[in-house]
Amino acid sequence: MACPYKLERLNTGRDYIAENFQAPLSLSGIAQQSNMSPYHFLRVFKQTYGETPNEYLIRLRIAQAKRMLITENLSISEVCEQVGYLSLGSFSSLFSQQVGMSPSLYRRRLWSLSAEKYRFPSQAIPACYAYQFLGIRAN
Amino acid sequence: MITSIAHATIYVLDQNEALDFYTNKLGFELGDDMSVEGGFRWLTVHAKSQKNFQLVLAEPKEGPMFSKESAEAIRSLIQQGAFGAGVFESEDCQKTYEQLAAKGVQFIQTPTQQLYGIEAMALDNSGNWFSLVQRKK
Repeated sequence: MACPYKLERLNTGRDYIAENFQAPLSLSGIAQQSNMSPYHFLRVFKQTYGETPNEYLIRLRIAQAKRMLITENLSISEVCEQVGYLSLGSFSSLFSQQVGMSPSLYRRRLWSLSAEKYRFPSQAIPACYAYQFLGIRAN
Repeated sequence: MITSIAHATIYVLDQNEALDFYTNKLGFELGDDMSVEGGFRWLTVHAKSQKNFQLVLAEPKEGPMFSKESAEAIRSLIQQGAFGAGVFESEDCQKTYEQLAAKGVQFIQTPTQQLYGIEAMALDNSGNWFSLVQRKK
């Protein structure tokens, strides 16, 4: 666990990722925000948050991509670009790996579950809220 | 290991009015505004610098979790100021206090020195109170 001073610097780097995840980011550029060497930043970040900076970045990008696929009428390529990926192939592959299906299938599945136009399926919101407000349980 | 908080709920009396308050008065940004099956409106806002922490503005209504009586009781408690929405941070509590007060935000405590910094307390337009804190550096 990082000491308070180091944690503050680490948080600066983490916030930098959160605020700029839609742009191309490099480990050295992120580490620079925390005034740490890339290797040191990577090691302390993983120790503190339980995931690497890249894993955190991917998580933010995929979450944003999922949101955009459901709520925005953008092409998969446009979603790919808007969450910070330059290659559609890399994005689709990464998305499939993380979500278990391709971006286009994810969109089709969720949209097809919606009976009415502009009514999103309960899967579009966190399950605890779907259960609390709609009484729908995933299993 | 839990690494961050993504969502927290604030129960409000009217989502439209709450959205107006949190965006136009407090300066939050709209996150999601989606109609979900079953008539539920998924409405979230976030601080401009903290997009990965969404506040869910939800109305307590009769449904799976709340009976009609429970929903009414919660609405009544909100109006009575029984619930706190949390702590919002500012770089300059005094300045933010003046800006928000000028916009009509109702404060129940002016900026006051505390052990952890300077703190003011206010109410949202449902009756939830929240702290505005400038942390001691």
